[in-house]
Amino acid sequence: MIPATGVVPAPAAVAAPAARTAPSLVVLRGRALRHAWRRAPGRYLVGGGLLALVAWGTAVLVERGVRWIDAYPLIGTIADAALRRSVEAFVTVLVLAVAFSVLTTAITTLYTAADLPLLLAWPLPAARVFRLKVLETYLGSAALPALLTLPVLVGLGVARSAPWSYYPQAALAVLALYALPVAVGALLALLLMRVAPAGRVKEAATAASVVLAAGLVVGLRVLRPEQLAALTPEEFEVFLQGFASLRLDASPPGWAGEAIWQALAGGVSPALPLLLGVAWVAMAALGRIAAWAYQAGWVRSLDGSWRRRDPRRLPAAWWERPLARWGAPGAVVVKDVRLLMRDPSQWSQLLVLLALAGVYLVSTASVEVEGQRFRDALGTLNVAFLGFLLAGVGVRLAFPVVSLEGEGVWFLRSGPIGVSGVLAAKFAHALPPLLLLGLGLGVAQATLLDVSTNLASASVVAGALAAVAVTALGVGLGAAYPRFDATQAAEVPVSPGGLLYMTLALLYAAGLTVLLAYPAWTTLVDPTLPVWASPAGRVTAALAVGWTLAFAAGALAFGRWRFARSETGVD
Amino acid sequence: MIEVERLVKRYGRQSAVDGVSLVVRPGEVVALLGPNGAGKSTTIRAITGLLRPTAGRVRVCGHDLLRAPLAAKAALGYVPDRPYLYPKLTARELLRFVARLRRVPDGDRRADAWLEAFGLLAVANELIETYSHGMRQKLTFAAALLADPPVLVVDEPMVGLDPRAARQVRELMRDHADRGHAVLLTTHAMDVAESLADRVVVMHLGRIAASGTMSDLRAGAGGGEAGLEDIFLRLTEESASGPPPWGANARDRADGGRPA
Repeated sequence: MIPATGVVPAPAAVAAPAARTAPSLVVLRGRALRHAWRRAPGRYLVGGGLLALVAWGTAVLVERGVRWIDAYPLIGTIADAALRRSVEAFVTVLVLAVAFSVLTTAITTLYTAADLPLLLAWPLPAARVFRLKVLETYLGSAALPALLTLPVLVGLGVARSAPWSYYPQAALAVLALYALPVAVGALLALLLMRVAPAGRVKEAATAASVVLAAGLVVGLRVLRPEQLAALTPEEFEVFLQGFASLRLDASPPGWAGEAIWQALAGGVSPALPLLLGVAWVAMAALGRIAAWAYQAGWVRSLDGSWRRRDPRRLPAAWWERPLARWGAPGAVVVKDVRLLMRDPSQWSQLLVLLALAGVYLVSTASVEVEGQRFRDALGTLNVAFLGFLLAGVGVRLAFPVVSLEGEGVWFLRSGPIGVSGVLAAKFAHALPPLLLLGLGLGVAQATLLDVSTNLASASVVAGALAAVAVTALGVGLGAAYPRFDATQAAEVPVSPGGLLYMTLALLYAAGLTVLLAYPAWTTLVDPTLPVWASPAGRVTAALAVGWTLAFAAGALAFGRWRFARSETGVD
Repeated sequence: MIEVERLVKRYGRQSAVDGVSLVVRPGEVVALLGPNGAGKSTTIRAITGLLRPTAGRVRVCGHDLLRAPLAAKAALGYVPDRPYLYPKLTARELLRFVARLRRVPDGDRRADAWLEAFGLLAVANELIETYSHGMRQKLTFAAALLADPPVLVVDEPMVGLDPRAARQVRELMRDHADRGHAVLLTTHAMDVAESLADRVVVMHLGRIAASGTMSDLRAGAGGGEAGLEDIFLRLTEESASGPPPWGANARDRADGGRPA
């Protein structure tokens, strides 16, 4: 491969600047990607197809939404400004999401990447190697938000019948915009490499990310969007006018908004070259600083810590003993619980979950609805929402559990434990937090909204069923499409398997919502009817349980079948 | 103890292992040698159940690896070439996990005995992420031997070990075989194979190029006092352009039979 690419110059050319003769490292990466595609085209086709489906759905949704807003009589006059502010707010949230993920990604790409020592040993300028690494950092943290944004821009363009020049300009604007949090976040990560306690940089980066994510969630909550429901039409118009008149001109999201709106009108805004220039300078500076920091040895925080511990033989913890009676699967559960408690990339997921649950409960509690029928209507919506919420949480908690074996998967594959045992252990490990969340939210929303008995039981049942189905889907599909090379839990779902999980989990949640529509409707008609005691109620309950078991058993069987035949992670 | 019959492993059209047969008996140490890409690690991974053979059969202590994988794997201890261990566990926790996985009675006491034998007792409660490569390699050995398995399979045992630990591991493998167990190891260290192995199997291009005791191989190479390294180099050079005349009979079968 090396002679073909010409990266290593011939002896006579060693003295000459190799960087000018060597082909791009990006081309090298492109070639590797092409080989990967040729090896498993089906995997990429499925992933690409799902992604295209999501993108198409988003674009259509946005297009219809924009057309509806444009035609809405109350806000017709300020629709354009309100839309622009909405787009700016949307990209601002995603900018924060990029900043959230880049902290840990940057450490992996700019410091601990396995190919860095090799690349730096080649006769290439270090700055050039780090330009590639900066690009990888960008793709690792900003590619997904960019893929989410582009269909939104397409939908907006189609709804507004934008000229063709709008599309490349709008795409360039958001791609440049997302480069800024990448640069800032990666520089912060480099700083952490220097100042974090020895061996604790990943923990420090994860903690910073979690604080950022929880802050974002809580910040959105502080806005108290439910207040909008209490406004009179006149007050709502005043609010919209205020929202439309907000200006972010001096900020990058404001520049992106300006560039996009000028492009919609067929022009070119000076904000676009400004944004591109700032992004270029930021990324180039990041590359230079990262190269300098690496060679200056800012790696102290990466070294393993050596904390003297009690050398005596410590007995097994009290909670291990009952699990140990379960044999090999029990041993796997004990091991996984210990790893969960010690790995910040794992337990931090629980913190984000807690923040989400807290926001959900506070939001539910703050809704003031008069009348049982309206409370029941809201409760019905919440029952539907519960399934979707658990599907979203499961992608972080259940889907990665098999992949988190990492390179240690050889222990299980060469040990006396079958695939069914492994999956049972993973299911038992992932179910408790999701079940606790599902039941807890079900009980809490029924209590906080004070819904009728029928709906209260439906809410709790929906929480429990969704937790079981989502856990099984996560474990099954996570075993079918494992990523043992992922450096942290958050990376695992960014894959075709993760997309498939989300699609099926949302399908399950939608199905459960449809099934639970019967008791909800009956309750709305007459809250005193004993829904679950009636034959129709029993059939509905049986169908909901059947729907859940079908998804759970199907996903686990598929995962078992694929994992037994897979040789991933062996080499 | 280990019986491999006509093992084939293909990746697409390429054969990594092509019709290999191999037997390791109780009390024997067999060294599997070969240049890079010869198919040694693939063979080892098929024996340990990490890879599914395209064709052929592997039996461990009489248990077919595909039909009774749990029984076969329960009889087998494995030390891979890269000792990846869960970095956020302590050595003691890892061995406790292995003891439970393999249902080892009195696991804690046995774990301590192995930790002491490898000089790891003082750091047994430290996280594995703080261990050096050599310490991890020793811990992997401890994990493999904890259940005193009748079959020990070791892929590149000496990588990263200091001279003292290397000698300890050599003695340990010999001792394991002397207690009536079977040991199969792959190595690039010819001196290790020469001093430790009862029989040597040389693989090249996915097939067995020769097998036998050292004296068998020397006799096959034309007598004299040729060392294993010379024999190995000659074998792998010759078999690149066809089977060596004296290795032909042993080509696909390394069950202890004598080469022609």
